[in-house]
Amino acid sequence: MRKLIEFRNIVKTFDNQVVLKGINLNVYENEFVTLLGPSGCGKSTLLRILGGFLQQDEGTIIFDGQCIDDVPAYKREINTVFQRYALFPHLDVFDNIAFGLRIKKVAEDVIDQKVTRMLSLVNLEGYEHRNVTLLSGGQQQRVAIARALVNEPEVLLLDEPLGALDLKLRQEMQRELKRIQQEVGITFIYVTHDQEEALTMSDKIVVMRDGEIQQVGTPLEIYNEPANEYVAKFIGESNIIEGVMVEDYKVKFDEKVFDCDDFGFKENEPVDVLIRPEDIKIVGRTGALMKGEVKSVLFKGVHYEIVVETISGASKTVTMHILSEHDTYNAEANEKIGANDFFVDLEDVDALDDFNLVARANAQAWDEEENDLSIANITHNIENKVGTYDCTFQTQKNTEITIKVHVVDPVYVEDAKKNIGISAFDFFVTAEEVKESMAISTDLKTWASAEAWNLQDDSEIEITDVKFDFDTAEIKEGSYEITFATQGREYKIETTTVHEEGDKVGLTFDRNDIHVMSKMVV
Amino acid sequence: MTYPYVVWLVLFVVIPMLMIVFYAFTNAGNDILFFKFTLENFTRFFQDADFLRVLYTSLKIAFLTTIICVLIGYPTAYVIAKQDENKQAIYILLLTLPMWINMLVRTYAWKGILMNFDVSSEFKVFVGMVYNFLPYMIIQIYTSLAKMDKNLLNAAYDLGANKMQTFLRVVLPLSIPGVISGITLVFLPAVSSFFIPKLLGGGDYVLIGNLIETYFITTGDWNFGSAISLIMAIIIIISMYFTKKIDKKIGEE
Repeated sequence: MRKLIEFRNIVKTFDNQVVLKGINLNVYENEFVTLLGPSGCGKSTLLRILGGFLQQDEGTIIFDGQCIDDVPAYKREINTVFQRYALFPHLDVFDNIAFGLRIKKVAEDVIDQKVTRMLSLVNLEGYEHRNVTLLSGGQQQRVAIARALVNEPEVLLLDEPLGALDLKLRQEMQRELKRIQQEVGITFIYVTHDQEEALTMSDKIVVMRDGEIQQVGTPLEIYNEPANEYVAKFIGESNIIEGVMVEDYKVKFDEKVFDCDDFGFKENEPVDVLIRPEDIKIVGRTGALMKGEVKSVLFKGVHYEIVVETISGASKTVTMHILSEHDTYNAEANEKIGANDFFVDLEDVDALDDFNLVARANAQAWDEEENDLSIANITHNIENKVGTYDCTFQTQKNTEITIKVHVVDPVYVEDAKKNIGISAFDFFVTAEEVKESMAISTDLKTWASAEAWNLQDDSEIEITDVKFDFDTAEIKEGSYEITFATQGREYKIETTTVHEEGDKVGLTFDRNDIHVMSKMVV
Repeated sequence: MTYPYVVWLVLFVVIPMLMIVFYAFTNAGNDILFFKFTLENFTRFFQDADFLRVLYTSLKIAFLTTIICVLIGYPTAYVIAKQDENKQAIYILLLTLPMWINMLVRTYAWKGILMNFDVSSEFKVFVGMVYNFLPYMIIQIYTSLAKMDKNLLNAAYDLGANKMQTFLRVVLPLSIPGVISGITLVFLPAVSSFFIPKLLGGGDYVLIGNLIETYFITTGDWNFGSAISLIMAIIIIISMYFTKKIDKKIGEE
């Protein structure tokens, strides 16, 4: 194939922000090339530079062996289909398509012939004299394509042309565009952020990120052998696991060594491992490569998306004490006051100001009409020592309640292997409070002051799992166990067979389904 | 919820219009119970060569004013619309700034300026009109140029059109609606203006607006004044009808 376009080290800066960081790319004749990336990655900028609507700051574009840096847009043998079509509203379908030919002063009878041929290519026969502003999105799209193609360009640029269409029409136009490209046999350069679109139509995909090319390859190469985590995540669903390349053909992740087809890494080099959801099979627990528990099942139409947890996260179990109604009633002032005992970490005693005491004890007071009253006075003898202390809350009219504050040694669990610390406290609440809770998991976390963090840098880690075994609507006095846990190792699996949440299952995959990628340089 | 609007419409539009029509077709001396319809006011107007000459002068000067406003206004609007967005706002502000001062005061200022030049009364009135009505034309054209999708220009370049071809085949046709509404906004007040000719033209330069004013205020002949107003209104309606037609025709092409 003949090399048609060559981008050489293209750099573009907008307002001191580098949008393109030196792009080198070759495009060949008759290729369908897709520039793929999220918005802001520079893909549209690159296209507009090629179209001649923007000037690059550095670098050169070679078109058919000639440098075209100084050729204005209207002299380039390139036509563009714009994002919002940009049809001329004052011209009808025929005149829109004929625009370029009339500029070139082509004879009217030739124009007539060419436009008619274009209309049949895009399946719009009989639409010659329609008003373009009254056409549907898909029809406008076809007019825009015909208007560009009628000039017989060497290259057609398409800037997210299907973005404004609905799903069904988009899929139809994808097939249509591919057909048109094959029929006219010219180079298409297509910009999109839609990975499915890219995979469906392209001969070659260029994955871009922050003004740099991450990978260039055929759809199959990009899908099966992504260069790094970014490409893998952008193209399709994926499980990406941190691992170590022990030696050639052997990779270790999730504390096990697996055989694989990859080689050429350094010994014990940290890598990212990719396993596509459709490559993992759910089997019985005997003979499986990994064992786990089904965490969630999501019906996706054609398949189920099942999440299996193979290694649980760090966890901490606490006891919830359900107390009877214990509000104190003050007949003299006709007021009620309530508060709960609570546990507090020795390390946190210093931080116990009045505001914190009210919050931790959940102290509340009401008048006869159930209006909230403010707590006016708090007295306590809490010391910075392990022990049990009294704390009294009082309203303006001397309605009071005394609770116990238990100061205890720090009670956190460290999971050194996963590098996670997790802490939570036993706590006291009334049955009423549990029943009235709108979001029980969140409230339980608050009541128990449950938190998890990274042991290395102290950053917060989300507690994703709150396990308990009671019915909030029917809860009675007594003690209940609650387990808080961080997220463990989870695998996303696509399958057509259904499984129940909580099923114990085994997972297996082939050695060539393990794709090892180099760590990304950030 | 349209009642307040209807009341407003009846009070301030329909009733005054009906009164003008009523006066135009009656003679002085009638009262509300005993009156006679007559066409006398109209025949009087069309039989008098002086009145027709005034009508002709009014239409001529309004027409010239409109033409000049388009010729000056279009390039000005085009240049403004080409600037960066924040610069555009400043230019439009500068353009409308004089309008914060009463039109009458500004016209007096022109009287002072033009006194030093030995030009005809007609030319002085003409300068005053162009000065007063030009901003309306510029703003209308500017609006239609500014709201134009910039991608249309890129599309034209992309299809091989150079700057001139793009202007002639895309920009100009798409800005015609702005030009048409600019014409309406300039021609209508110009044809019926009365204080600009009064101040700048001196006593000897009479336009149809001055004629109406004289018959209402000086002579006190409300019937004849109303008849002239009605003739004016009909001329304006006819000219608006033709502008609309031209607009549509250009739109179709």
